[in-house]
Amino acid sequence: MLNLDRRRQFLDLMAESGWDLLLFYGHSWRKDFFRSLVNFNFFGPHAVAALTRSNELSIVLSHPWDHELLFDKLNGKVAWASDFRSAIRRMVHGRTAIAGKEFMEACFIDESTVSATAAVEALRRVKTPDEIGFIREAARLADSGYSHFVETAEAGMAEFELVAEVEAFLKSHGAEDNFMLIGSGGTEVYGMRPPGERRFQPGDNITTELTPCVNGYYAQICRTMVLGEPSREQQQSFAIFEEAQAAAQKFLKPGVNIKDVARVQNDVFRREGFGEYTGAKYTRVRGHNLGLYPDENPWVLEDVDCVVNKDMVVIAHPNTYLPLSGYMVFGDTLLVTEDGCVSLHQTEKKLFEKAAERRHGTGE
Amino acid sequence: MKRGLISWNKSEIPVEVFEQRVARIRAVLAERDLPALVVYSDLWRSNQARFLSNFMPYFNRALLVIPSEMPPTLLCGLSPRVYGWIRSVTTIDDVRPAGNFTKPLFEIAEERQWPRIGALDLERFPYDIHKALHRGPIDLVNVESSVVMTPADDNTELSIRRKASTLAKEILEQEIPNGVGLTDHQFAGRLERRFRRAGAEDLLVLLTNGRSAPAPATGATLEEYFSVSLAVEYRGHWIRISRHHGVVITAPPESRIMEKLDGAYPYELGEASIQAAHLEFRHKGKRLFYGDTAL
Repeated sequence: MLNLDRRRQFLDLMAESGWDLLLFYGHSWRKDFFRSLVNFNFFGPHAVAALTRSNELSIVLSHPWDHELLFDKLNGKVAWASDFRSAIRRMVHGRTAIAGKEFMEACFIDESTVSATAAVEALRRVKTPDEIGFIREAARLADSGYSHFVETAEAGMAEFELVAEVEAFLKSHGAEDNFMLIGSGGTEVYGMRPPGERRFQPGDNITTELTPCVNGYYAQICRTMVLGEPSREQQQSFAIFEEAQAAAQKFLKPGVNIKDVARVQNDVFRREGFGEYTGAKYTRVRGHNLGLYPDENPWVLEDVDCVVNKDMVVIAHPNTYLPLSGYMVFGDTLLVTEDGCVSLHQTEKKLFEKAAERRHGTGE
Repeated sequence: MKRGLISWNKSEIPVEVFEQRVARIRAVLAERDLPALVVYSDLWRSNQARFLSNFMPYFNRALLVIPSEMPPTLLCGLSPRVYGWIRSVTTIDDVRPAGNFTKPLFEIAEERQWPRIGALDLERFPYDIHKALHRGPIDLVNVESSVVMTPADDNTELSIRRKASTLAKEILEQEIPNGVGLTDHQFAGRLERRFRRAGAEDLLVLLTNGRSAPAPATGATLEEYFSVSLAVEYRGHWIRISRHHGVVITAPPESRIMEKLDGAYPYELGEASIQAAHLEFRHKGKRLFYGDTAL
């Protein structure tokens, strides 16, 4: 539960920075800073871990059930407080830095503390062997989850019904959490969002990004399937996405800059005359780091300056809108190795297709 | 995470309901001579903006700006590509990119000549936004949510929470008898399917075999005296519920915890007008949990 590799790194960071105390704050949405040191999936809504320069650990939780589950699992002081604000203020002493300070309620702390968010994020970017193990498990789950997605989707089914089935599958197979977006339709679709009541129709692109979480760590897969036989435009469009993702995967290795990982993807679109569809109007990012948060820094964009290191885990996904066939997605979780990168997925790299005939009724 | 059906059924929550809620905000703004109120929202803290506009982000953060004499504006961290979807499921037409949140807010304030505005529970804003707001050209004035929003007095709010509660009771009544022998992961998966097919946006499942407090699934096989405790979000309305298998308890509880459900968070420890009580019983050495959401 205690990440010992990280603990050593954080102690070094404190010594280098002259901090007496380093707090790791988490709330129910952003548990990642807390879990980077103490990998405990708290119910919430708040948790904070405090590490002193002399390597003492203490934790305050906001729910008594969390306290009961954790108090005898660690060599450190574990408490809970209904008045979390007072508890966290009592922890602060000397030169206190906080990872996750930006997400805290303003009343929790004052100006005497400094933010450790960027420094801790930079350390977290490179994964430890244990963390990579969890992400590998999450990637395997993403593969089987996508397989279930394809098996389950059918004409007449509503988006939210398909998502319910995939969530059920992932949770049944041990996912702690899952971030999932979906899109369906044709050239009128500009992105993905939470599932709606729209029912799938023959000819639809059905896009998804599945992001299951194992022991706090997320892996992500993006794929597009066509309900029925893909049209020429859908095939033409997918070929561009496939080439762009392959370009990123071929390029990604230690020492390259993340902005160039974005550039090599965008260059494929530019060459095909679709350069305008690589900008913010049509897409968000060309990928991002993965770990305890499903959308970690660095984001893969041409204006983000960040050198890639071994053991970073990055998804390269050239997801965007193209007028050929609407919004498409395609991407794999990639582990940066000594001299390149490897995909953590087994799912085929193809435009998935499925017969559009309806097999059975929808709903319950 | 919030990944279920996010929709707005106007027969369930008519637009007039939101208009009445916003009217109450505006009355307080008028009393305090404030031209607008800004409300913070994110994936987890979506209760307040949802109450006022039906906006509940599936990711990222947002500021809802409610002027005293103009329609609301949403400063949104999500991509402009989903603004159409936001307009389709909320009362908001004016959706703008948030950037760092403060710049667009200050631009609106300058354009409309607002020297100061209200901020709902200002001291509970995230530290970074709070700090940036205080560095800007306008004064921020705290407006207490307890004064302008009382969900417990709102019939529509209560009606949907009751619906969510009834849904949860029905599903648990049907699923718990079949739970023994399943792994807690399998049981959690069954609940995911049932709740999400019924339209729930989010679901948190805690389980125990009676040797600890309820906890996230670990792969354990569910035994005779297992308990399940859920946090369910339905149409943006959160409820909490705990149930157990194996025996009907008539003895008094050994302990209980109270959770507040009508604040900024889906739940937090404390008592409130809308609250959940989780009672703990002992039976044959096992801990059993039972609880409901109530007024």
